[in-house]
Amino acid sequence: MRITLDVDRCQGHGRCYVLAPDLFDADDFGHCVLLVDDVPAGREDDARTGVENCPEQALGLE
Amino acid sequence: MEADDEGRSPSGSVVVDLASADDPRAMSRMLRQQRVHTIEGMFHLLTRREDVEAALRKPAVYTSRPEAVQLGNIRPLIPLSVDPPKHVKYRRILDPLFAPKHMAALEDEVVTLVNQIVDRFAAKGSCDFHEDFAVPLPCTVFLRLMGLPLADLDMFLEMKDGIIRPPGATQEEQEPTRRRTAQNIYAYFEKTLAERRRAPTDDLLAQIMGSSVDGVQLTDEEILDICFLFIIAGLDTVTDSLDCIFGYLSQEPEHRRQLASDESVIPSAIEELLRWESPVPAVPRVLSEDVEVGGCPMKAGEHVMLLIGAANTDDAAHPGVDSVDLLRNPNPHLAFGGGVHRCLGSHLARIELRVAVREWHKRIPEYELVPGTVLQYTEGLRSLHHLPLTFAPAG
Repeated sequence: MRITLDVDRCQGHGRCYVLAPDLFDADDFGHCVLLVDDVPAGREDDARTGVENCPEQALGLE
Repeated sequence: MEADDEGRSPSGSVVVDLASADDPRAMSRMLRQQRVHTIEGMFHLLTRREDVEAALRKPAVYTSRPEAVQLGNIRPLIPLSVDPPKHVKYRRILDPLFAPKHMAALEDEVVTLVNQIVDRFAAKGSCDFHEDFAVPLPCTVFLRLMGLPLADLDMFLEMKDGIIRPPGATQEEQEPTRRRTAQNIYAYFEKTLAERRRAPTDDLLAQIMGSSVDGVQLTDEEILDICFLFIIAGLDTVTDSLDCIFGYLSQEPEHRRQLASDESVIPSAIEELLRWESPVPAVPRVLSEDVEVGGCPMKAGEHVMLLIGAANTDDAAHPGVDSVDLLRNPNPHLAFGGGVHRCLGSHLARIELRVAVREWHKRIPEYELVPGTVLQYTEGLRSLHHLPLTFAPAG
């Protein structure tokens, strides 16, 4: 499972890195930075939580 | 009151105001039956999540140009009334100053402030939560953040109310107060900027004054236009959110106990109550071109209200959002707006709300509305006129 980020859509709501801080981080502007591309085994639920809470649908799973 | 499809009461006055509705969810449900409502000569309302979201993402069409929000200001509010590409310049300066990592450093100070405020009435066993807590907290945090004297608190509250809630029933009646207040705000910050140039400080205002993009510093006018927006966008909205959250909890003891007994629930409870109450229930935009939504033509230059509150409870988009679940996941709500104009202060607001809810419930876990109270919400932005609470006197 991979996380995808559309940087143009991200507006810095900060939901992903608050909910799953070891998968997502913030840059200096508060926008999302992916800490992993491939979701580690057993972390699928946290990845999904980070992705699905994004109000901009900037994150995806594939 | 019953409104027809156009949002007018039988007398012709506009009754679509989610902010002051006793039950904005019911009003939202009614409004969502139609994708667009047109209130002739005033504005269009977008009611569904999908349409609100699409509009927020098209700032070139649904613009936030100065006509969208007129609050006595003589120049565009920065960054709200500026659209891309210029908007990017301002957000590049301001976003880092309000980023979560930066805001987290404030937490200890907010804890102290919240407890000082609770100290004023804890032993009494009662308070008007609105007057005594929700109003002073955000304004005090703002003064600290900007390095301004706490003695100016009452004047700031007057400035905020003079713009957001001026006396008068119509725009025309309200205009003189707004204009006078706006002049006072500009004059206050002009004086402050001059003082800061003589005696530099180390605070948010100093950081803004020292900011530059591509080597170009902000002009004094730009700094004033940022400060103006801070007052009107940063103070009232946190008061509104506090009123909404505590107004809800005072009437829902099960949910109150759920978060009072387990503080790990608080962050998600705050997201959920911001969604449910949507303290800023609508954001205004002005069209730059003709568009059509759901067969309804809307013309360039016309105003459109994006109904955040209705979008946040749209169960066609997200099943199950017509009730409160403090542990809701996922909860991709739009209470802080969305798109390029996403609330700049959202991370500051979240810290204030989280600390306020946590510290309050440590001190006063059980409280209730003074019997016989009927809560009345304010128009435009959803705060309470009063929120009288009683509780066992606490230490």
